[in-house]
Amino acid sequence: MEPAEAEFLAEKELVTIVPNFSLDRIHLIGGDLGPFNPGLPVEVPVWLAINLKQRQKCRLIPPEWMDVEKLEEIRDQERKEDTFTPMPSPYYMELTKLLLNYASDNIPKADEIRTLVKDTWDTRIAKLRLSADSFVRQQEAHAKLDNLTLMEINTTGTFLTQALNHMYKLRTNLQPGESAHSQDF
Amino acid sequence: MAGERAAELVRELHRAAGGHLPPFRAEGLRQTLEEMRVLYERNQADVSEAKSGRTDLIFLVRFRHCCLLRNQRCILAYLYDRLLRIRALRWEYGSVLPNTIQFHMSAEEVEWFNRYKKSLATYMRSVGGEEGLDLTQDIKPPKSLYIEVRCLRDYGEFEIDDGTTILLKKNSQHFLPRWKCEQLIRQGVLEHILS
Amino acid sequence: MSEAYFPVGPGLGLEENFLSLDDILMSQEKLPGRAESTLPPLTFALGQGVSTGDSIPEGSKLEIPLWLAKGLYESKRRIISVELPKIYKEAWRTVFSADASVVDLHKMGPYYYRFGSQLLNFDNPENPEIAQTILQTFISRFRRIMDSSQNAYNEDASALVARLDELERALFRAGQKELNDFQCWEKGQASQITASSLVQNYGKRKFTDMDG
Repeated sequence: MEPAEAEFLAEKELVTIVPNFSLDRIHLIGGDLGPFNPGLPVEVPVWLAINLKQRQKCRLIPPEWMDVEKLEEIRDQERKEDTFTPMPSPYYMELTKLLLNYASDNIPKADEIRTLVKDTWDTRIAKLRLSADSFVRQQEAHAKLDNLTLMEINTTGTFLTQALNHMYKLRTNLQPGESAHSQDF
Repeated sequence: MAGERAAELVRELHRAAGGHLPPFRAEGLRQTLEEMRVLYERNQADVSEAKSGRTDLIFLVRFRHCCLLRNQRCILAYLYDRLLRIRALRWEYGSVLPNTIQFHMSAEEVEWFNRYKKSLATYMRSVGGEEGLDLTQDIKPPKSLYIEVRCLRDYGEFEIDDGTTILLKKNSQHFLPRWKCEQLIRQGVLEHILS
Repeated sequence: MSEAYFPVGPGLGLEENFLSLDDILMSQEKLPGRAESTLPPLTFALGQGVSTGDSIPEGSKLEIPLWLAKGLYESKRRIISVELPKIYKEAWRTVFSADASVVDLHKMGPYYYRFGSQLLNFDNPENPEIAQTILQTFISRFRRIMDSSQNAYNEDASALVARLDELERALFRAGQKELNDFQCWEKGQASQITASSLVQNYGKRKFTDMDG
């Protein structure tokens, strides 16, 4: 999967906006949206929130976790633990990028948030590398990937599965017999 | 050495990286097939000799048989990999290939491309409701219905949704429906400008 | 890289992938062998070194492409025997177990893993050691390949890549693609539609054709 596709999936996540227009409930394949009343918060998918924001039709209310104090806690926890800690959203990276890009004026301390999320990401990716290496080195057969997000898995998925495939086949070489005499010419 | 010509076909194709389609080597293919014919005929003769007692020929027969199989494998892999490249052209370039590419294809490959094109069109008409669905569109998730494009070379007139035509002139910039220009971008006629 | 062209990938292990161009080129590589009995004239096949029309005396040294060695090999009735290329022999295996990361596998290969796995098709008493060394070599070189192909603060990796065998290079490219895709996304360019690399290639060719 490509990052653009992961982002596309993230755009289905719900965020709260405060519209400045009125519109009746609208019926879409993905479900009903609205009704929209000026000044009344309403939940919409990110793709719609961005579209409305770009046209200055709403104000965005950032998700609860998109907050300097909470993110500092998450970052510190991530640095402390050896395993992956749970993230506040399975699309924390995508949402940070999308919302900060299109609605940074509605998010307090946007720059700090950007840095904190990036720091957390870097810590997690470094952990992922480290565990991939020890997984290969110790020739493990399975691993727990709890709490990893789609985007994180995507940054190394092809590489890692390809490498593990190679390793599996090279290990099969160690057991002669079964297929050794199937080479008929 | 036996199998060398066939291996050369494979080597040349392999060198053409990134799915690029090199010229079809009709002569190399013909020579390989000729080599195979000779190997086969000699083996036919020697097999009957071997049956009537010349066991010393068995090794030679076996050797020629290996060469035959090797040539066959090289040719099949050569032709198959070319088809994979030609199929990719339909997805990345569209259903009408420019002459520069067609010159690199054999008559059979052109024929195959045309049939592939038809099967794909039939399939795409059958999915996604009455009007069908163009599966070669929106390879990347779309962000908006209209996009900004710059024209990289003189292309000429181009009809858009509402029936009006615009002139695609080198360096001109336009705001067009994404689905109308995706293919032209992939062909290198237009460039997608991100705002 | 073209997004719609997916070539048949090579196998790894005792079996090759029949339609893989990579595997065909790999099995084109030669290995040392010996005639175990007098062989009929194979000039047509083995080229130079064997003079025209003569049979090949028992004990002659031969250079045989892997595909032919596999085709002619029989464990019961030896007509030809196959020897190990030197990087799979004990002396080199010792080097690999000391520090595999320093070896230039491209110069020594370039199909170290796949060719080595193929050698296991020939009954050789050293087979278990060969298989073990190949596996360990991969494991001990893995970290550097991962780090250099996925390191966001990219230093020039070309010196490292030059020393990778073909399988490692493909792995390196897969890692780099993932990194590039991600960086592209971070910069906000992931949604940009781009010209097909197939088309770009032909464009270049057209210009050179016109020049010539």
